[in-house]
Amino acid sequence: MQSATVRILVVVLFVAAPFVQTNTYWQHVFGVALIGAILALGLQLLVGMAGLLSLGQGAFYGIGAYVSAVLTLRFGVPFGVAFLLAGAAAALSSLLLVPIVKLPGSSLAVATLGFNIIIYLVMLNEEWATGGSYGMLNVPLPRIFGFELTTERDLYFLILAVTGAVYLGLDRLTHSRFGRALKAISQDEDAARACGISIILYKSKCFLVAAFTAGLAGSLYAHHARYLNPNDFTFNKSIEILIMVVVGGLGSLPGAVIGAIVIVLTPELLRSSGELRLILFGALVVVLMGVSRGGIAGLAPALLRSIARFRAPASGKAVESAEVKQ
Amino acid sequence: MTALLTTEGLTCRFGGLVAVGSVDLSVEAGNVHGLIGPNGAGKTTFLNLISGHIRQTGGRINFAGRDLGATPPEMRAAAGIRRTFQNLRLFREMTAIENVMVGLHANTRSDVFPSLLRTRAQRLEEKEITERARETLDFVGLSKFANSVAGSLSYGHQRLLEIARAFVARPKLMLADEPAAGLNGAEAGALVGLIRKIQGAGVTIMLVEHHMEVVMRACDRITVLNYGKKLADGSPADIRDHSGVIEAYLGTKSAYLRSARRGAGEAFHAPH
Repeated sequence: MQSATVRILVVVLFVAAPFVQTNTYWQHVFGVALIGAILALGLQLLVGMAGLLSLGQGAFYGIGAYVSAVLTLRFGVPFGVAFLLAGAAAALSSLLLVPIVKLPGSSLAVATLGFNIIIYLVMLNEEWATGGSYGMLNVPLPRIFGFELTTERDLYFLILAVTGAVYLGLDRLTHSRFGRALKAISQDEDAARACGISIILYKSKCFLVAAFTAGLAGSLYAHHARYLNPNDFTFNKSIEILIMVVVGGLGSLPGAVIGAIVIVLTPELLRSSGELRLILFGALVVVLMGVSRGGIAGLAPALLRSIARFRAPASGKAVESAEVKQ
Repeated sequence: MTALLTTEGLTCRFGGLVAVGSVDLSVEAGNVHGLIGPNGAGKTTFLNLISGHIRQTGGRINFAGRDLGATPPEMRAAAGIRRTFQNLRLFREMTAIENVMVGLHANTRSDVFPSLLRTRAQRLEEKEITERARETLDFVGLSKFANSVAGSLSYGHQRLLEIARAFVARPKLMLADEPAAGLNGAEAGALVGLIRKIQGAGVTIMLVEHHMEVVMRACDRITVLNYGKKLADGSPADIRDHSGVIEAYLGTKSAYLRSARRGAGEAFHAPH
């Protein structure tokens, strides 16, 4: 299949989803899934491209959500401006991580996790700004060019548009000098430096971009859920985002989107199994990782190969040589 | 002739061990300058000091009229010092052409915003990088493998790709750390030609190499290190006849003569 055809089909599928499923609860869940997709895309840049294992994305998500909510609720800032400022605030706060970006893998993971815990405690305790554990109620609905987005379907399309833009932006970044530098750093830091790449500068920029996208996702969440509570932004959220990325497939942008959708929708689909649903969900994740280390994105080529083998059992040799070429 | 690189009393200690001990060395612009010596003589450490991957504990490095001091490796790369590594250090999961394109990082500008917006300047720059990378792959004879993943290339091709990644930026000084290691006879012979071609493009080369045939044929000048100290300095002919070098490097003189008698081509077929 041509990749252009695939792309058009995917866009049609996403646009058609809220028309096929008219239940507003499900439309809301679709919106949640796409917010997850934005988060996973941002983390994919960190983990999948630059090899930076970060468990702090939940913090930037929360910063974006609270900034957007406070600006619109208390200061009457229009949604569009608050949305961009939410991304900017998250990006700015990522500069706090500059001193630690050079830490190796597991240390960086623990340090960013600590960062997430600190931000969570700030959200919980600075009641004057965030409402503390009571949270923030009645975050206004987004208003764009004078139109208030009132239905779940409107909100879904707003989130879809942002998801599309973030996807396109990150796709462009990965195929640029910036993306190549990140990939180079993740594969060999000494060789990257010998090519003139400053490790701290590029890792910091990577955190900045990822934090910006998480901030945007946070703003969308604030105006979609319309209620914020610090418990939405604990390090559990960061781990959930990481699961999305790993389940979808490390290094793959489509994988990040698929991973987010699967992680958000599966527990909903399993709702009929009652108390067992989270256990089933956990088991599914374990089985998937056992079957394909490349996540769902890595599953597709393997599936195609076994279909090819199934369709041509007589000419086994031909299939074998085709595999060798791959 | 002017010196492109000079070191004065360059020293590097690891704890009690003196890896490089007060070495004075001068590399003339335009030369291929060999750096040889037995295993553990400090050759690779010396290259790491020049490229900035290791900080010296004493002495000075002067490059193109500038004291390098504590300049980090990425700034030295931007100033025109590029290198290859002894144990291949390619970006293994990237394609050959992407590896070479990364080599142009310091010579290009486009950052996050131009890439997001795909500005005209960014697209032009990408096109230029791609073209230059292609030319360079052609130059080292890897044009057929432009879109192959670097880690899947044969050992010899990976060595050439490292050279391409260093050379694409047309550095002032290229540090090559044992580029002939693991190459077969024909490949090592071709390497000498490639080194001379790179020199012809105006690049000064500092070559660390064990492969004597390659060293003798490729170098204009040779410095010999032994136990971190400079043992000798001179033309290939001087070094070949220097008794101290022969003893340090090959054992006794008679052993050297025996091996020389077996013929010059012999070394090319030495097992690796």
